[in-house]
Amino acid sequence: MPTITIDNQTFEFEGQHGLLQFCLDNGVDLPHFCYHPAMSAPANCRQCLVEVGMPQRDRATGEISTDEDGNPLIQFMPKLQTSCSMQMADGMVVQTHRSSELVKRAQKDTLEFLLINHPLDCPICDQAGHCPLQNQAYKHGPEGSRFEFEKVHKPKHIDLGPRVVLDGERCINCTRCVRFTREVSKSDQLTIIERGVKNYPMTPPGVEFNEPYSMNVIDICPVGALTSKDHRFKARIWEMSKTASVSTVGAKGSNCYYWVKDNQIMKVTPRTNMDVNEFWLADEERLEYRKFNEDRPDGPTVEGAPVSWELAWKAAADCLSGVDGSRILFLGSAWATVEDNYLLAKMADAVGASAPVYLPHVEEGHGDGWLRTDDRTPNAQGCERLGIHAASAQDLKARLEAGEIDVLYVMEDDPVASGVCSVADLAGIKVVLHHYNTTNQTLQAADVALPAAMAVETVGTFVNVDGHAQRLRPAKAIAGVNRTLSMEIGKCRADRHGTPFDKWYNESNLINCQPGWVALPAVAAALGHEMTYKGPKQIMEEVSASNPAFKGATYSAMGELGVRLESTGVTA
Amino acid sequence: MSKAGDWRNYKRVLLPPVKDLHKLDVYEAHEGYSALREILTTDKWDPTSVTDEVKKSGLKGRGGAGFPTGLKWSFMPPIDPDVPRFLCCNGDESEPGTFKDRQLLEYNPHSVFEGMLIASYAMGIKTGFLYIRGEFADWITHMEAELEKAYDKGYVGKNIMGSDFSCDIVIHKGAGAYICGEESSLMNSLEGKRAYPRIKPPFPAQKGVWGYPTTINNVETLACAPLIIRNGGEWYAGIGAQSHPGPVLYGISGHVNRPGVYEYPTGMLISDLIYEVAGGMRGGKKLKALVPGGSSTPVLRADMIDGVTMDADSLREAGSMMGTSGMLIMDEDTDMVSFLRRITHFYHHESCGQCTPCREGTGWLENIVTRIDEGEGNLRDLDLLMDLCSQMEGRTVCALADAAAWPVRYTIDRFRDEFEAKCKPSLVPSGADLVMA
Repeated sequence: MPTITIDNQTFEFEGQHGLLQFCLDNGVDLPHFCYHPAMSAPANCRQCLVEVGMPQRDRATGEISTDEDGNPLIQFMPKLQTSCSMQMADGMVVQTHRSSELVKRAQKDTLEFLLINHPLDCPICDQAGHCPLQNQAYKHGPEGSRFEFEKVHKPKHIDLGPRVVLDGERCINCTRCVRFTREVSKSDQLTIIERGVKNYPMTPPGVEFNEPYSMNVIDICPVGALTSKDHRFKARIWEMSKTASVSTVGAKGSNCYYWVKDNQIMKVTPRTNMDVNEFWLADEERLEYRKFNEDRPDGPTVEGAPVSWELAWKAAADCLSGVDGSRILFLGSAWATVEDNYLLAKMADAVGASAPVYLPHVEEGHGDGWLRTDDRTPNAQGCERLGIHAASAQDLKARLEAGEIDVLYVMEDDPVASGVCSVADLAGIKVVLHHYNTTNQTLQAADVALPAAMAVETVGTFVNVDGHAQRLRPAKAIAGVNRTLSMEIGKCRADRHGTPFDKWYNESNLINCQPGWVALPAVAAALGHEMTYKGPKQIMEEVSASNPAFKGATYSAMGELGVRLESTGVTA
Repeated sequence: MSKAGDWRNYKRVLLPPVKDLHKLDVYEAHEGYSALREILTTDKWDPTSVTDEVKKSGLKGRGGAGFPTGLKWSFMPPIDPDVPRFLCCNGDESEPGTFKDRQLLEYNPHSVFEGMLIASYAMGIKTGFLYIRGEFADWITHMEAELEKAYDKGYVGKNIMGSDFSCDIVIHKGAGAYICGEESSLMNSLEGKRAYPRIKPPFPAQKGVWGYPTTINNVETLACAPLIIRNGGEWYAGIGAQSHPGPVLYGISGHVNRPGVYEYPTGMLISDLIYEVAGGMRGGKKLKALVPGGSSTPVLRADMIDGVTMDADSLREAGSMMGTSGMLIMDEDTDMVSFLRRITHFYHHESCGQCTPCREGTGWLENIVTRIDEGEGNLRDLDLLMDLCSQMEGRTVCALADAAAWPVRYTIDRFRDEFEAKCKPSLVPSGADLVMA
């Protein structure tokens, strides 16, 4: 197998590899700015310079020349090479800053150059704290600067588009943003203008940087030149905890991080998952987070009056008890997790009702074959695999109007807003509603309203449009004590703020709601049907063991990156 | 010793003293397109033999780097009928002190066209791009008209002179950036992209314009091709310095009595060029310094040019380079700090800004040299300048950083006393490293 020696350590490799990526994959922390694994390597930042040598070959025989001890003689290239643009070759010898003074010096020199015209306004820069330039300047840069002149001035706070703001002076011209629009999103909405030290990225004349993936350039910008209009100046990076979870905006289930401060979602950023969203996240997936913070209910209500949870479970059970199962309509939800839908189906079965259905929320033409999908819900595929099938609003409307339904049990959806019925239509029908937001229009008709924990507050599973089962993790806490949620929060951010053991912890903005896997067993218990589980983990174990469409989808198997389920031929 | 032989009786061939040679009929009357005709209509030539003849001539590129032209042509991959291949003629001449290609474009454009066609024939190319600096607007208009005439006569286009060789020539106007003269930048510019130099490898012969095999030659280089075919490679190899032969256009500017472009063999003594060809120093002043090949080549002191001739070997020994043979002559009144300030300003202005060391370094160099020139500099600034030069050299995609650093390095190195005289006295000893521990 071909080998490469990096800082006197020999690695075996197969196939074609870029040297920089190989170093990064093998724990050699080479500094770099312009290189990004999803894009071409322009080698313009000159930060990843290394010494590269190849074994000397005898001109006549083609054999590798050796010294007296039998070690191959290495011929180093006369200039330092950019590792990002260097393809690995058998026998290659590489010296990085860990073993070469020359490389160390070159990296320091490049950082000195990068910093002379950089405004160094870290104290007011959103990127500070997670800034590659800041980090690498600390690690590899010079102690100070020998630059004694006025820095170059460039345009600042320019709106490139509706969502991205540019600070030209902070830009280090790595061209990642330009290459993103050229090579990844293919919108070609950005280019570099001006020349030399005045260079900065800009849209072509008359063009607005408004593509649906524009905010990705904020993440890949290695400095604070591109910032989010929505998030800038709202929170410092160290004031937030980040939780690895899944986006709820479309059926793709893009992997993301939820950033939380004071129990409020502050922003959503992509999390790399090469099987789902690679490095990217659509703008809509980043911006639809206010629903997690705003218009949230505060505790359960019966007939509009606040009650305790115990009374609410009882009231919900009272709505169901004594009614012929065939006259109860259970409405599942593609917003809700597999676990919750499974429990709902179990409850429907227990009271003798037919299997739940769900309302599809499809917006024709919204999808683009990439991360945005026509389906605006995250778990339609999971519902279908559970045997909970889509029902059109017209069908349901017909059933209601025909007087077939006495009780409507709605989990985390809004039949009124979806056009199934009006509030008046529900006058003679008992309605139990698990709801996320007070903007839910069915709320006015609900006899019992049970606030439900949203995807950022619960533990559960979504199955994306391609059959990829992925776990949700609680990013923020809810009011009340829930051992499972506390454990999950503690597990995924033990050393970050947000846990009760952390000095940053505070109890503001806690929502009085319950996850479905608490509420549904409680209602069932009040009805006299025991559905006892230790938590969602156990529910999912039962689902994956009993339903072949979920084979292998246990929490431990799903981990951070999820598992690809076998195709069932069913499309949501 | 001059290697140019009997240069006083040299007969000009690149720019012969013929009135209206830029017109097609005049060019035809003076053996114009005869080399191309010979190649296309006689059995004597095939693409390989044309390349071999150019190799035999010892022609080295006239664009600055001095790479052997025949060798460059032979780097093109074997012809694949499905893969287009291109020739680029680099007429983006814009280095300070270099102004010889414009003479060819103005006074002998058909020799450039003919050279492009010969090169295209040798490499099996069907499209040649003539990339001309946009500031040469008047000549571009004129050349387009002359090219039209050549098309009408069947010298360019389909089935040239009745043969099965077809080749188009496209004149492309640059938009005024020095960096476009860098060959990979030129290709990007030609493609309509921002003129950032490309990483090599892949070299243009592997992946050039639009990713297809491409060869890029200087205007003067290609204008030599018809001469080589007409008179033979041996004839060409016999002109001037043995290791760097041929006629050369010397662009002489600065403090001489008769600045201008002069055609002579390579290997001319620098002193002959200054004192005889260019009519001596202006006002009888003493020579102080000269830059032999365009602003990026290292400056030579007057005491360094004894016996030095204008060819690659001799200039290398003397501590400089042939470059584009655009000679900047400076007399004893020249302020070398001020000279360097102008040069650093140029490279600051023209750095494309792709690579960090060049983008940031060129401006910093200008800042410091300006400060010294204005009497505000410190002695340690000189060490800092040298340091910055080492931080830039060889660490960028193209050679512009080197071209910007060398004048600084060598001007300070060779005229250090002048720089020190302009600096403020410093309490900090020279050589002390203040920050970079």
